[in-house]
Amino acid sequence: MKLRHLAAIGLAGTLGLAACGSSSKDSGSAGTTAAPSPETNAPATSAAAGTTIRLWLNGEDTKQELVDYAIAEFKKLHPEADVQFERQQWTGIVEKLTTALSSSDSPDVVELGNTQAQAFEAAGALADLSAQKAELGGDDLLQSLVEAGTYDGKFFGVPYYAGARIVVYRTDLFEKAGLTVPTTLDEFIAAGVKLKQDNAATPNFSGIYFPGKYWYAALPFIWQEGGDIAVQDGGAWKGTLSSAASVKGLGMVKKIMDEASGAPKDGDESKDYVAFCNGEVGMLMGPGWKLGQILNEKDGCPAMADKVGAFALPGAAAGTTAPAFLGGSNLAISAKSEHQELALDLLKIMAGKGYQTQFAQAGTIPALKSLLGQVSGDEAAKAQAVAALNSRFVPSSENWAGVEASTVLPDMLVSIAQGGDVQAAATQADQAITSQLNG
Amino acid sequence: MAIGSAGAPGAPAPAAPAAPSTSSRPSPHPVDGRRQGLRRRRRRPNTLPYALIAPAVAALVVMLGYPLLRLGILSLQKFGLRQQFGQPPDWVGLDNYHRILTDSYFWDVLWRTVTFAMVNVALTIGLGLLVALLMRTVGRGMRLLVGIGLMLAWAMPALTATVVWQWLFDTQYGLVNWAFTKVGIGDYQGHSWLSEPISFFMVATIIVVWMGIPFVAFTLFAAMSQIPKEIEEAACIDGAGPWQRFRDVTLSMIKPVLLILTALSVLWDFRVFTQIYVLQRAGGINRETNLLGVYAYRISIGENRFDVGAAIAVVMVLITLLLTLVYLRQMVRQEEM
Repeated sequence: MKLRHLAAIGLAGTLGLAACGSSSKDSGSAGTTAAPSPETNAPATSAAAGTTIRLWLNGEDTKQELVDYAIAEFKKLHPEADVQFERQQWTGIVEKLTTALSSSDSPDVVELGNTQAQAFEAAGALADLSAQKAELGGDDLLQSLVEAGTYDGKFFGVPYYAGARIVVYRTDLFEKAGLTVPTTLDEFIAAGVKLKQDNAATPNFSGIYFPGKYWYAALPFIWQEGGDIAVQDGGAWKGTLSSAASVKGLGMVKKIMDEASGAPKDGDESKDYVAFCNGEVGMLMGPGWKLGQILNEKDGCPAMADKVGAFALPGAAAGTTAPAFLGGSNLAISAKSEHQELALDLLKIMAGKGYQTQFAQAGTIPALKSLLGQVSGDEAAKAQAVAALNSRFVPSSENWAGVEASTVLPDMLVSIAQGGDVQAAATQADQAITSQLNG
Repeated sequence: MAIGSAGAPGAPAPAAPAAPSTSSRPSPHPVDGRRQGLRRRRRRPNTLPYALIAPAVAALVVMLGYPLLRLGILSLQKFGLRQQFGQPPDWVGLDNYHRILTDSYFWDVLWRTVTFAMVNVALTIGLGLLVALLMRTVGRGMRLLVGIGLMLAWAMPALTATVVWQWLFDTQYGLVNWAFTKVGIGDYQGHSWLSEPISFFMVATIIVVWMGIPFVAFTLFAAMSQIPKEIEEAACIDGAGPWQRFRDVTLSMIKPVLLILTALSVLWDFRVFTQIYVLQRAGGINRETNLLGVYAYRISIGENRFDVGAAIAVVMVLITLLLTLVYLRQMVRQEEM
């Protein structure tokens, strides 16, 4: 009998405590929000004390100093509000944004890669900024990034920055091998092979660091030969990796992977700077900021500063460049953000002249055409400016993000790297791409 | 889903047998009170146990039942990224199921998953049993050491453990490659452990089994310590050899525990996700190393085809239900014998 009483009291007590706990939490949060604002979906006005908006930026593209600058400018406009900055990784960002942007706890300002932006725009995940386009830069914005940020005639993503891929190389190893900066694509491959042969004593050495999953680096070779990932015929997409031109380009990639690269055949390029700093790399292909990452004081090797250089990937003939993969990002406001006005102000700062000028001076291609002349900085920046003039992009389809997520291209390249037949691998990839892009 | 009769552990005891047992006990209360107590107990069925577990059951129904229901509904709709952000979904009936069941790649992934689960379960239970036997045989100090080692392995989160194991097997900077080359097993410099599917799954098996052994070992050790020493001694006196003793005494007495552990291991190893996903990031061709759990994730969250992903998940739930049912029935039959 006593035990039953104890059990009943214990149960009632636990339920009571749980109820008390949840109710106090609710009353707490209700206390901090101010009176309902005229905005339809925002319970807090910009006048509410302690409002924090969340900013998500990806990868290492934006330096902390720039973020601090933006936050300081933002606080000048809104002294009582704050910006919570969270740095995300590029890998897996599509999945992360899918869950985050659709939840009730969505970040306010997010950075989207230009290959991923279309999918989210089509899905209605982002706030429509068509009315504010003029304030955000209007015609001064980089056209190709504006296209990535526009869907169905509506403007969702403000161009943030652009970058083209370049080649970072070891000047001292070049001298030792008697090589000069290659002026044609064939010279480039030959230089990579020679470097690997000359440095065979160094374990894991790569003349050209080309891990199996590095599809960004494979694209210039495909494009240079006249091939492409997919083309749109009428309304339907068709994968073209198995065309004769694309296969020729893939053959060049295979040659690099077999004879010039010592990178893991199934690895990705995220840790290439580690290998570079270890002295295992002659040349590597990377975005403009790769040089900065290699010479970074914290996890790079600044001691190598006098032994590294950069150039744009050359094309078929001397004096030309191969089509470079145009990377870049757009900034957008989540449709579910509760602080649309504040987020818009932050966006204006980050797309504005002050912020973008600093981007340009750091060697990144800014989002504003008027600042293109200001791109200065190291060799990498100059190489990037050259490379960007001949740049290409992935198929602009809202389903492209799905193709990236299903890792069709990395899988194809890894199977080629491991000795698989190029034509067969390309055909299989084409089937997957065609079905994915057509929904 | 009827689990079985009163033999199954955890089944609620019916009210009727309770009354006779309490009335047969001698009571210190006066005669009147006892008669009143008897009458009260005979008339009212014992609802207190149900009332006490009701909150827990309600919580379980909400937390497990609602997602399951939502999953089922999703698998019958056309649900992509647009629907995730607000557009109303259409009903397509069994279209998604038809799509996956006629896709040969799905069957490849399914058989791969089943094989992987079976191998892992066999290794986990087998090695766990051996470790438990070891713990029974060694002295107290050694047993403590083994116990601590097992605890540390068990306590490590799956993600952390996978990352560490992946570093050990890293292609360029891994310890295993270095050790093999140094010891002279062969030239493993730059050998990629994750590029071939068989090798990939071997690494994954090592990680999954390494993480699964502690639980099995501790549980079996506890079960074995319940076996009275007298029975073993009697078997010894009767002339049974060590293998016979193990099979007829030890094994038969821990059979219920063994069966439940096998059922749990099948459940867990069939749904394995973290280890495979993290290893796939490190290397290998994703298409050839996808297991059902990872495949469902890639389809739904990665490719935003939530409807197809939900259908795959429902198929997974049905298969695990089937597998565990088989084992539960076996276990119930075991108890009745």
